[in-house]
Amino acid sequence: MAKIGQHVVPNTGGWSVKRSGATKASSVHRTQAEAIEAAKRLARKQGGELYIHGRDGRIIQRSSFGSEPFRSRG
Amino acid sequence: MLSPPFQRSVFVNCPFDEEFSPILQAIAFCIAELGFYPRLAPENADNAANRLDRILELIRGSKYSIHDLSRCKSRGVGEFSRLNMPFELGIDFGCKRFSEGTCEAKTMLILEETRWDYQKSLSDIAGWDIHSHDGDHIKAVKRVRDWLVRQEGAAQVGSTKILDSYADFQGWYWDRELGRGASDDDIREYPTIQVVEAMIEWVNLGRPS
Repeated sequence: MAKIGQHVVPNTGGWSVKRSGATKASSVHRTQAEAIEAAKRLARKQGGELYIHGRDGRIIQRSSFGSEPFRSRG
Repeated sequence: MLSPPFQRSVFVNCPFDEEFSPILQAIAFCIAELGFYPRLAPENADNAANRLDRILELIRGSKYSIHDLSRCKSRGVGEFSRLNMPFELGIDFGCKRFSEGTCEAKTMLILEETRWDYQKSLSDIAGWDIHSHDGDHIKAVKRVRDWLVRQEGAAQVGSTKILDSYADFQGWYWDRELGRGASDDDIREYPTIQVVEAMIEWVNLGRPS
């Protein structure tokens, strides 16, 4: 089953929250912390995954807010 | 395994150090997303001779090439500049210039970190397709996208869409690897060549989420 993922990604001026597969950002923010809070609210509400990307574009942290077959291990 | 076709192959001649890997991986993803095949020299070649032979094979088998000269500039006292990238650029240019047949059609993009740096280290290439990315993966994707969409058969996709897809790919990749028993740290340390192979797989699977 496809899971709903929320990505916190850098853009040229700040940070965006983007749902997996979406063509537009759900919201844009000045700081990464603000974007993470917004993405967490969506992930909790929808029971999906949260992927936090670093300034270099790569995932630095993954969290699951729904039932998952495996747990993210650091 | 069959090599990708010459007409769709992009030889990526970039630094393989950890600091550069976010830019290298973003460039490779952009290439794959536009319907081409990023061709990288393996990091685990058996020895120097095999590595160079492999590079020659990649150069000969790729119509397109991206050469990043960011490491031609040393950053501190006593630090050497890296000469592999300009060396391979020279081989590629020689292949295009002195070959007959398909290699005459080879096309190159030159990238550098800071605009005009090439004029201080490799001014012979003045007038070529040279662009800077300021060490930023978003700018690197834009430069590669703008160059590649002008080539025959490239998908006409905007750079923002490519970056969105890059995030989607990574989510899919992390989930898959966690499901296979990897830890977050394992995934962060995967070699670039392995990540690039997964990019091509993801595109071939129809870009699953």
